[in-house]
Amino acid sequence: MSKTILEMRNITKFIFDSFGHAVRGSNVRILDSVDFDVKEAEVHVLIGENGAGKSTLMKVLGGIIPQDGGIMKLDGAEVCFSGPRESLHHGIGFIHQELNLCLNLDVAENIYLGRELGGKLFTNKTEMYSRASTMLARLGFDIDPHTLVSELSTAQQQIVEIVKVLSYDCRIIIMDEPTASLTSNEIDKLFQIIKDLQKQGISIIYISHRFEELKEIGDRITVLRDGKYVGTVPIEEFEYDKIINMMVGRKLGAMFQSQHTPLEETILEISGMKIATHTDPIDLSVKKGEVVGLSGLVGAGRTELAKSIFGSRTYYGGKIIYDGKEIGHQHPAELISKGLVYLSEDRKLEGLVLEMSIASNITLASLPRMYPTTKIQRQRERKVASESVNSLNIVSNSLNQLCNTLSGGNQQKVVLAKWLLTKPKLLILDEPTRGIDVNAKGEIYKIIDRLASEGVGILMISSELPEIIGMSDRIYVMRNGTISAHLTDRKDFIQEKILSYTLG
Amino acid sequence: MGTTDNYALKTESFSIGSFLRQFVKTKGSVVIFIILWILASLFVQNFFSLNNMLLIIKQAAIPMIACLGITVVLMTGGIDLSLGYTLGLCSISVGIFVKSMGLPIWISIFLTLCIGLLVGLFNGILVQYVKVPAFITTLGSGYIIFGLAQIISSGSDINRLPAAFRAIGVTEFAGLNTTVFIAFGICLIMYYLLHLSTFGRALSAFGYNNKTARMSGIRTERINVLAYMISSFLVAIAAILLTIRVNCAQPTMGGGIYTFEVITGAIIGGASLFGGVGTVIGSVFGILIVKVIENCINLMNVSYYTYQAFQGIVILLAIIFENVKNRKL
Repeated sequence: MSKTILEMRNITKFIFDSFGHAVRGSNVRILDSVDFDVKEAEVHVLIGENGAGKSTLMKVLGGIIPQDGGIMKLDGAEVCFSGPRESLHHGIGFIHQELNLCLNLDVAENIYLGRELGGKLFTNKTEMYSRASTMLARLGFDIDPHTLVSELSTAQQQIVEIVKVLSYDCRIIIMDEPTASLTSNEIDKLFQIIKDLQKQGISIIYISHRFEELKEIGDRITVLRDGKYVGTVPIEEFEYDKIINMMVGRKLGAMFQSQHTPLEETILEISGMKIATHTDPIDLSVKKGEVVGLSGLVGAGRTELAKSIFGSRTYYGGKIIYDGKEIGHQHPAELISKGLVYLSEDRKLEGLVLEMSIASNITLASLPRMYPTTKIQRQRERKVASESVNSLNIVSNSLNQLCNTLSGGNQQKVVLAKWLLTKPKLLILDEPTRGIDVNAKGEIYKIIDRLASEGVGILMISSELPEIIGMSDRIYVMRNGTISAHLTDRKDFIQEKILSYTLG
Repeated sequence: MGTTDNYALKTESFSIGSFLRQFVKTKGSVVIFIILWILASLFVQNFFSLNNMLLIIKQAAIPMIACLGITVVLMTGGIDLSLGYTLGLCSISVGIFVKSMGLPIWISIFLTLCIGLLVGLFNGILVQYVKVPAFITTLGSGYIIFGLAQIISSGSDINRLPAAFRAIGVTEFAGLNTTVFIAFGICLIMYYLLHLSTFGRALSAFGYNNKTARMSGIRTERINVLAYMISSFLVAIAAILLTIRVNCAQPTMGGGIYTFEVITGAIIGGASLFGGVGTVIGSVFGILIVKVIENCINLMNVSYYTYQAFQGIVILLAIIFENVKNRKL
């Protein structure tokens, strides 16, 4: 095969704070002598559970944080990056999972941010816009470079990021979960771009949790586990079980459990509700002890529906009947006290207070119930929180650990713990396993099943079809802001079938 | 239960190093205060004496009350620039009530506190429901309040207040006056409110992340308005005590400079302009630091303008320190 252009040997990194400095007095290794290499014009997939060190390894390569040990060689010459800019000038482009675009600037301005074309005083706008539109057109995207980035969809924004990186003449492009917020159409397009890039001799480092994707575009797969290098396999030797094994270090049993049986009583009944003035009305119901799946594309209105139920968004007409009573536009506080809770898809923005401790976050939604006298009892808080931490298997140093230092999976478990503590009767889960490793996913499925057997009604929004199929008793599919299908028979729970209702 | 206890034991390992680091990190203003005190004692003549110490405490007591109020607002991520003008309005109001109108003392005080609450309600509603940034809202309302104070007073002060009214603030015990004890009592109440109650927890969560807080069932709308009301309420108390102290109700009392001094104290005390963070101990020592510096400047016979410039430098240093602390410690 072609020559190796990048070599990383024995990369070691100790646990660090948000500024990349090592945490004093700690010798926890996030990366422990990791080896990694990239060949010319290959798509090298990097996988591992959350907290396995993928992102950290890529941050070292991208010059965002310095390594504490080991060397990096580019074309055989040892390199050391002092910052992202230096890494970029060596031809390594980084497309982050959370996009780094200035929303108030337009597409071309974002692409040329910090290196605007033209002289010192004036920028050559005409040149900038024409070049930007050439680049966009070459990739087959019909985006006007004058459009403000805030007006683009997440997928389009991602494309702007890719164009931006490409405009630097990068030889290696790191993509950290690029498909996380893309629709399947857009994913196909992205893969086409990746294949084109490959033909031009550009190498891609691709981080993802989705196995189907890896088979489609990967050349080699490297697995990391707990900060250690596990192995690299060429795609020809790809086997689902084998990779899972490498990732979790043990055989994975049946991931989906279904020991619950739905009860007769209905807990949530929506009739004729419209999430926007121009959409068609929605009818939906959830029984006690039932897991109802809500499938559909990003933007089909699933989150809007959930937020309308949870009083965080206005809706137009129709009725929501919860636990026998009609609920109008109520404050989340009232709904929570009645046992209706909503786990948001964005745990960092709407699920956690990142700057606060695990214990504070877990008890946040139960404050009035736990402390009727308004005095916080520390002992009680510690006890309750540590019970949650133990029962949900949240990995942390202490209950006082701040949530911004936790991995994605553990953060999600903290949010879940917060809601479980409120003793819900209806739990709306919005992408409960997004960006979470396989192990934590399995645990979350178990918790969902356990809750359902305790009689909790569950409405689960998910983009992952295996999850929807594996967990649900009934499935609703959403398209264009309304329900496009209602599947009640398990025989109909087929990926292709659901997809067809999704796409219309 | 067994596992629970083990968990707690395992994680709460204690070392002097980490304790000191934690102390400096959370109680930075206490450390600065001690250092400042030692330096001033060594290098400033007449600083180190019991009388001077009591004087500083007396001088700090009133701004301390206002400082605790502004701390609550800062914790929401907002700011109250009308603070100093509210002080003036409340001062002239209590003067009018107690002397010009001759109302009973307690009713005068009650009405003045109500004015404070109303100002806070006005600010809070604008910030929360009209979605005007706190900076602009309170800048605007500050001028309205200032104008209002001038109108109702016709621009003149009210001197020689009733002795019975003054007794509330100037009666001495053990070398300190009642004002100091009232301030201390308010510190205790605010400590409970901010650090031991669910209100403080909710306030902090709201300041850090408004969305998460609301979706976790915290009445964020209520808390935001309440924060401005608490602040203005405490300013009204400060206004009454200050009026008693100078024995004169003035519509021009306080003003922008006073607002600045109080905010400086809170910032030195570690309150963050971005919301979420704020402590009673921090703000108490923050205002003490401001007053120690003022005291030194007086003792060294430096002009008041130098003091103001110096105050500006201190607030910038405090913010720089805040950043350095977050990165290094």
